[in-house]
Amino acid sequence: MTTFPSASVFFQVLINGVLLGCMYGIAAIGLSLIFGTMRIIFLAQGAVMILAAYCIYWMATLSPINPFFGFLLILPVFLGLGWIMYKGLFQKVAKAGANPSLLLAFGLMVLLEHLMSLIWSPTTRSVITSTSTSSLTLGSINISVTRLIVAVVALIATGLVFLFLKKTMLGKAVRAASEDMSAAALLGISPTYVSAVTFAIGIALAGVAGVAACITYPFDPFFGFLFSLKALIAVAFGGLGSVGGPLVGGVMLGVLESMSAYTFSAGWADAVAYAAFLLILILRPEGMLGRRSIEKV
Amino acid sequence: MLQEPLKRKTHLSIALALVFFFVIYPLLVDAEASYLVFLFYTAFMYVTLSQGWNIAAGYAGQVSLGQHAFFGIGCYVTAITWRAGTAGYLDPLAMLMSGAGAAVVAIVVGLPLLAKLRGDYFALGTLGLGEILRVAALNGGSFTEGAAGISIPSDVYQSIKPYYFIALLISVLTMLSLWFIAHSRIGLALVAIREDETAASANGIPILRYKILAFTLGAFVTGLCGSLNAYFVFHIDTAGAFNLNWVIMPILMVILGGVGTFVGPVLGVFSLIAAFELIRLLTPQLHPIFSGAFIILVTLFLPDGIMSYLTGHKNRLLHKLSPFKWLALNK
Repeated sequence: MTTFPSASVFFQVLINGVLLGCMYGIAAIGLSLIFGTMRIIFLAQGAVMILAAYCIYWMATLSPINPFFGFLLILPVFLGLGWIMYKGLFQKVAKAGANPSLLLAFGLMVLLEHLMSLIWSPTTRSVITSTSTSSLTLGSINISVTRLIVAVVALIATGLVFLFLKKTMLGKAVRAASEDMSAAALLGISPTYVSAVTFAIGIALAGVAGVAACITYPFDPFFGFLFSLKALIAVAFGGLGSVGGPLVGGVMLGVLESMSAYTFSAGWADAVAYAAFLLILILRPEGMLGRRSIEKV
Repeated sequence: MLQEPLKRKTHLSIALALVFFFVIYPLLVDAEASYLVFLFYTAFMYVTLSQGWNIAAGYAGQVSLGQHAFFGIGCYVTAITWRAGTAGYLDPLAMLMSGAGAAVVAIVVGLPLLAKLRGDYFALGTLGLGEILRVAALNGGSFTEGAAGISIPSDVYQSIKPYYFIALLISVLTMLSLWFIAHSRIGLALVAIREDETAASANGIPILRYKILAFTLGAFVTGLCGSLNAYFVFHIDTAGAFNLNWVIMPILMVILGGVGTFVGPVLGVFSLIAAFELIRLLTPQLHPIFSGAFIILVTLFLPDGIMSYLTGHKNRLLHKLSPFKWLALNK
């Protein structure tokens, strides 16, 4: 065990954790939204992220477009992709139940991973950006510019989803549907339409998270599952089905990971995260920020 | 139960004929060279793993995503006792200890998880358990030998036959226990818990005790499989022992066959292995892609499992599994 030699080292580790956590947060919001309306853990989230990462990789390699532009490009493309995925695959299966949907998500993950590995080979890739090596210095603390941009994008994305859910009629319908689908349907909200919209947003957020991941980390086709797991933990930290919760949960996870990587070792950081995940599930299953709901009999 | 009331005698004779076939098959062919013998061995293992998941998830409604934890424990208990010299090659005692180790962990972890968590949260918690154990084994120092893993001397290997028969024995015993449980008070209690926990509890069923029983039994047989696997691969590392395949494949097979049915998972195991092997033979390079596509096709066109197709009545159960209660109006 290592203790922090000074306050500035502590803040450095803290800030690294917050920036890392923002990336988990974006993926987690998507997962949480999809869970809210479809009641499934969308295991393919990580694979979709890596698909976005490859899109950006090839865009940056084959054209002079700045990878940061990818955030704007990925958003509409993956919104459409999510819509198609829902209409083509999930709509029919969702009628058969949420358990087959979970399986379908798993099948999709396997298919995507191996397709990417076949087409683009399993080599590890990384995207180099103009800011890859630059960092801001605040006193004695260094902040990576790339990670800072990622964190800002995460905040903007969260803000947009939040505004959509709070201020638009469709957003209200999504919230109603995730609260109680049958009651929402009685009020004239179409379950399939709302699910398709939510699913599309979830996939788009996975795309944004993928762009964020590929400019900060090297990746390969099978890297995504780890992100699915991390996003899942972030969702459990923050509470299933909300918007702000998963982002905060992601930040909590990021901080926890970087703190335990510093004090124990990088190898144990994951174990600490999983253990915290189990503890939170047992002690506060509604998440740190979630409201306790009373189960009706 | 869910199966159509075919004559019990017919069922019994089909089962006996099948077991008889599997017993004599490796004696008739050249077992060492036969690929089919190896495939059957794999299938027996998956029958056990599938029923180990099915008893808690299908019958009692407690969906576990952490079976790879128990499989891994089985692998490591066997490898460590072998290294320490306390167990020999294909030692039944070591295998029982591996199963018992998994069962003990299932009880210790199951108590808080099953008492406090329902549905999705239980599934997520068990997934966390598997990952914690994987990371712990990775960082276990000289005890688990970290990422390099433990090697068992492989020169003791002589024939695949003992593996084949042990796997067959374990799967038959698992099937028998499941049959007796399903047709006893315990089975009724498990199904009652799955259908409505509150109502079951109100009728005096000690729900926690029965949930733990189902979960632990599943863990025990999964640990046995892990132990046999350790003796088969001779090298235990975290990537192999705690591989998510050990939880995902059985779930896939059970869903393909029919969740909460007795025969369904067996059909699921054999048809999935047959399908994957065919794909592998036809397109060696592309087979993982087709495996993914196959899963997607099954869920699109056969979401209720093979059993529902055979018995003609829809397996509504899949939708009732507590984590995945789906919209009543959307059915």
